[in-house]
Amino acid sequence: MNGNAIEVLDLVKRYGNVTALAGVTFSVSRGEIFGLLGPNGAGKTTTIKILTGLTPPTSGRAYVAGFDVVRQPNEVKRRVGWVSSEVILDDDLNAWENLELQARLQGVRNWRERATELLKYFDLLQSAGRPVGGYSTGMRKKLEIATALLHSPEILFLDEPTIGLDVNARAMLWDLIRTVNREFGVTILLTTHYMEEADALCNRVAIINLGKIMALGSPAELKSSVGGEVVELEIERPVDLSALKRLPDVLDVAASDGKIRITVRKADETIPAIVKSLDFSAVKSLKVEKPTLDTVFMKLTGKRIEESHVDYRRFYAMIRRSRR
Amino acid sequence: MSGLGAFWGLYKREVVKIYRRAFALVMTFMQPIIWIIFFGSSLNGMPREYLVQFFGTPNYIGFVLPGQLATSMLSTGTFSAMSIVWDRRFGFLKKILVTPAPREAVFFSKVAGAVTRGLVQVPVMLAAALAFGVALPLDPVGYLEWIAALMLLGIGFSSIYLAVAMKSSDWQHPQLVANVMNLPLMFTSTALFPRTFYPAWMRAIADVNPITFATEIGRGVVLNDPYTPTLLGYLAAFAAASMAIGLLVARRFMTAE
Repeated sequence: MNGNAIEVLDLVKRYGNVTALAGVTFSVSRGEIFGLLGPNGAGKTTTIKILTGLTPPTSGRAYVAGFDVVRQPNEVKRRVGWVSSEVILDDDLNAWENLELQARLQGVRNWRERATELLKYFDLLQSAGRPVGGYSTGMRKKLEIATALLHSPEILFLDEPTIGLDVNARAMLWDLIRTVNREFGVTILLTTHYMEEADALCNRVAIINLGKIMALGSPAELKSSVGGEVVELEIERPVDLSALKRLPDVLDVAASDGKIRITVRKADETIPAIVKSLDFSAVKSLKVEKPTLDTVFMKLTGKRIEESHVDYRRFYAMIRRSRR
Repeated sequence: MSGLGAFWGLYKREVVKIYRRAFALVMTFMQPIIWIIFFGSSLNGMPREYLVQFFGTPNYIGFVLPGQLATSMLSTGTFSAMSIVWDRRFGFLKKILVTPAPREAVFFSKVAGAVTRGLVQVPVMLAAALAFGVALPLDPVGYLEWIAALMLLGIGFSSIYLAVAMKSSDWQHPQLVANVMNLPLMFTSTALFPRTFYPAWMRAIADVNPITFATEIGRGVVLNDPYTPTLLGYLAAFAAASMAIGLLVARRFMTAE
């Protein structure tokens, strides 16, 4: 067993004849923010359920914090925190009481100190005595992350952390996830179907669709795998492109009705050379198109992430039927 | 192990929910209190000799109070079943099961929470009876035995109802179970009427119905009737058997969804 935080080997999960995971393999190093990016129904939540010991895999192996999730579930559970996509807190209890319950479930001694520290850190100390039912969505999310961190887990699982949040709350949460990763030294595995989120937060991303990993790498690696960035020039009159085509970083040049599309590895670095290599007085405008993770997803699956969501209700109805 | 700490944390949650949701608590008092107010008032006007002939005492409220308290322990069962269904629906059970807390701790906390909820009714009902002029005898040992009987009854019923609801995430199921079980269990006991006038088949059921046993212990106290301590032993056996079934079901079937 090496020192990876998470090690997943050929994980398969079937619900009756519905295959939720069709052989997934990846590993997450300690201290990393790792993202599972994919549409709803891709198998992201199923992966988290297996890794947190909520459900056993049909086949395959998974090690979390060095322990087998099937054979040593309690060792795993002591070392991981889990934040669900829907906020799960007891609305009748206040923040202290929710934290105390978590402390007792995890067997944390001296939880008050740690809880005070977390409430302070998450800016919830003032409202900690009020029943959670009256909290805003952002506050509830923060409190849920605080409860998940109470027992100082090595690994934090965040299932769709910003789903249903407004733009401000999302920005706040992104910052929070980064600082939690940095300051608490927690490895984070998050799932998301927002490509900007995976791009902004994750050191590495696995793109997952229909229970299979389609690609895995840093966001930059994944994006460069689709063939670079495009510099598009709008021109007033034909220009000589021969010097442009000879530039070493230019991968492709395509000219059509008043537009030149130049594919390059890195637009920021190549634009000065492009400007020098042609008569720039003919250029009306310049536009840079950088590939996003959605471009990557589209190249791999032929669809956008937004178009690929599996209809949840049909999916679960299918699972229920097949269980009988 | 962490089991005891987990139980304590979960039980505290149940208790806090009892007083934060005071309205739900008041609802559980309603049926027995309404019974005492309306039945008590209407039957108290009956000729004394009829009452004595039928109920064995002129004090109908004193007669029915133990029956109502015993019957109300059925509602603790409904409550425990409901609370596990809600915990599953809102994902709270998942949140518990991703911690090392054992399933047994969850089960016991639900049973203990339901029994606590049921026992809160005892002083309220006794006060209501006093207000209606029932002279309650001073018999500390008797009351302790009576409370023990109600506790065992509550443990038994909440264990069974929990077992029935263990895999359900439909909030209508506990209500359905309650409708099917509660009324027949009440009517086939001696909670409302003495067994003397029951047909033989109903008497046979009443003689094994745990509600009968808790009722008779209570009546022993309120009406100063002597009773045999084996009644408490029967209830203890009932509670132990139900708990064993509940635990087995919890171990096997308590899953996150």
